[in-house]
Amino acid sequence: MPGDVISRFASVRLGTRGTQQKEHGFGQVNGHHGEILQGIFPDDAGRLHRGLVTLPCNIVSSTAVFRPAPGNLVTVPDDKLKAAEAARLTLDSLGLHDQGGHLTVESTIPVGLGMGSSTADVVAAIRAVADAHGAALGADEVARLAVRAETASDSIMHGDLAVLFAQREGNVLEHLGPALPPLEVLSVNTAPGALVDTVKQPPADYDEWEIQAFRPLRGMLRRAIRIGDAALLGRVATASARISQRHLPKPAFEEINAIATSAGALGIQVAHSGTVVGLLFDPRNPATVRRVAEAAAKLDDIGLPPALHFRTDAAEVRHVA
Amino acid sequence: MSLEMTMSQPLSRESRGFPDYELPRLVRLTDNLHGAAFFLMKLLPARHMLDRAAADGRLKPGGTICETTSGTFGLALAMLAAVRGYRLILVSDPAIDEHLHKRLLELGVTLEIVETPYEIGGFQTARLDRLRAALEANPGSFCPSQYGNADNPRAYAEVAEQIAERLGHVDCLVGTVGSGGSMSGIARFLRHLNPDLHVIGVDTPNSVVFGQPDGKRLLRGLGNSLVPPNVDHRQFDEVHWVGAAEAFLATRRLHQHHALYQGGTSGAAYLVADWWARTHPDRKVVTLFPDEGHRYVATIYNDDWLAALPGWTGVLPEAPQPVAHPSDVRPSWSSFRWDRRMLDEVLAAGTPVAHDLAEAA
Ligand SMILES: Cc1ncc(COP(=O)(O)O)c(C=O)c1O
Repeated sequence: MPGDVISRFASVRLGTRGTQQKEHGFGQVNGHHGEILQGIFPDDAGRLHRGLVTLPCNIVSSTAVFRPAPGNLVTVPDDKLKAAEAARLTLDSLGLHDQGGHLTVESTIPVGLGMGSSTADVVAAIRAVADAHGAALGADEVARLAVRAETASDSIMHGDLAVLFAQREGNVLEHLGPALPPLEVLSVNTAPGALVDTVKQPPADYDEWEIQAFRPLRGMLRRAIRIGDAALLGRVATASARISQRHLPKPAFEEINAIATSAGALGIQVAHSGTVVGLLFDPRNPATVRRVAEAAAKLDDIGLPPALHFRTDAAEVRHVA
Repeated sequence: MSLEMTMSQPLSRESRGFPDYELPRLVRLTDNLHGAAFFLMKLLPARHMLDRAAADGRLKPGGTICETTSGTFGLALAMLAAVRGYRLILVSDPAIDEHLHKRLLELGVTLEIVETPYEIGGFQTARLDRLRAALEANPGSFCPSQYGNADNPRAYAEVAEQIAERLGHVDCLVGTVGSGGSMSGIARFLRHLNPDLHVIGVDTPNSVVFGQPDGKRLLRGLGNSLVPPNVDHRQFDEVHWVGAAEAFLATRRLHQHHALYQGGTSGAAYLVADWWARTHPDRKVVTLFPDEGHRYVATIYNDDWLAALPGWTGVLPEAPQPVAHPSDVRPSWSSFRWDRRMLDEVLAAGTPVAHDLAEAA
């Protein structure tokens, strides 16, 4: 039977790149805080793709543990359907069609805000399954599995690498650099209590001007990363947020933007399929401590107290003064 | 066309063109002044308009393109038609440059020269009538209409991308306005990244684009006898009107001082941009130089021809003369605070010279 041939071939392939099955496999990945840029971008051949550049948020993460066993695949908690699907796809891609096991997923990423909770569960599950079988999957392979499990996926499997990522195809359109310039982010949830199903939303229907307008944003982003210019990054983020506002409007967007401007922030950034907005500051500027405190107080005044404060290049939470 | 359909279309890079000729070379002229020097600026909007028309079926493979132009847009269309296998019919008038005429014929263009101007509407209306006749005689043919086609300004996203990538943050954009595509397009794209971008449009006396009465103009390429829909007046903070003699002299200076051999509209843009950059030394300025100088060897680059120009002094003014209303513009370099208004608003109100540009500077 052809299936046998394929699985025999796959296990041979697995044998060449992995060690034996382990008792436990472990997988982890950090969340994000929406995007610096999201839109439509041409590839090298000029063909258009939906793409995004994620803003890392390393203070939240998902963790998965996979214990292989013959038979069924059991996932805990059992509502992590996409993580379960991802684990299944990963086993299949390793040729282990009859293999099951026990998958546990835990996450500190808030759900429904556009911070990557769903993709993080999926990526952690894929990594745990691969780890349990001694298979080292590259970020591109993880991305392809993630997209198959959940249709559109964030680029968190690439870690802090700055990539323009085609979220519906799972591949990198452009490698922008080793990392974004570091940012200090004051995070606001613009719709507390309102859960957005970030994956079920229809993709934004950009008009012809917007499709073209993403080009200069991408140009400025390249420069921001190349010369490490956080101010340019803030301009790109704000411009992308403005376009997003026409497709998935954030409540109080203009007020938040005005607070950012008056507090001397570099710009604002949004989760293009979520509810969080980030005010961006330059961590290398000594005035940032005072500016963040000022912005936090003003956000409080309009009933949107900041929920998080973090640096993109650090894993510890900062405390709003 | 829906976005998903647009995304699945085969794209420009798959059909022949001149990608490396479309974008300008960026040249630093002074500490804070950068020139974007094009080989032939119109190649970019022409290619984009043809791509979009080919993608949604307005232009068929091997189809016919009809347009009225006697300038660089016609040349750009002719180059693209030649390599992409389209038939091109261009309607022009006897004022067409002799060398351009030959070059268009060599590229296989069908040139229709309108010999007699109408009593009312002159050559412009006569040419539009001839264009209409050509479109009717060739069913299914495509007219790019650069004055009204929104793909003209949208094409310039690639220039904005190049400027943003190479220069980062820009404070001021200066350029000439003819169809309005380049300046309205780039201004809107760059302003999306910098709402404070200061935009200066350069026109010429006797052009109606920014509210002067229509009249004879020696400086070609910028200005117009009608107001093209592609001029987005609300993008402009300032408008300058530069006379032909000044523009030509500035074109020579651009060559003498910066070794850039460009056409007359480049000189007009350079004159204004250099003045603004000198008076705002801490701001980064970018200006557009739309074509090269080779077509102007016998004119702008010929001292005898220049000396024979009416009112030729051989001296460049240091600064523009601020005016309170577009109708106050004189034959020489004038400036006006446009303040991102519509043409009608400006013509109704003007701008008191008390708050003039010198003060804003
Ligand atoms: C030489 C030259 N300069 C400037 C322009 C003005 O550019 P635009 O039509 O984009 O306003 C043109 C337009 O034809 C031109 O040919």
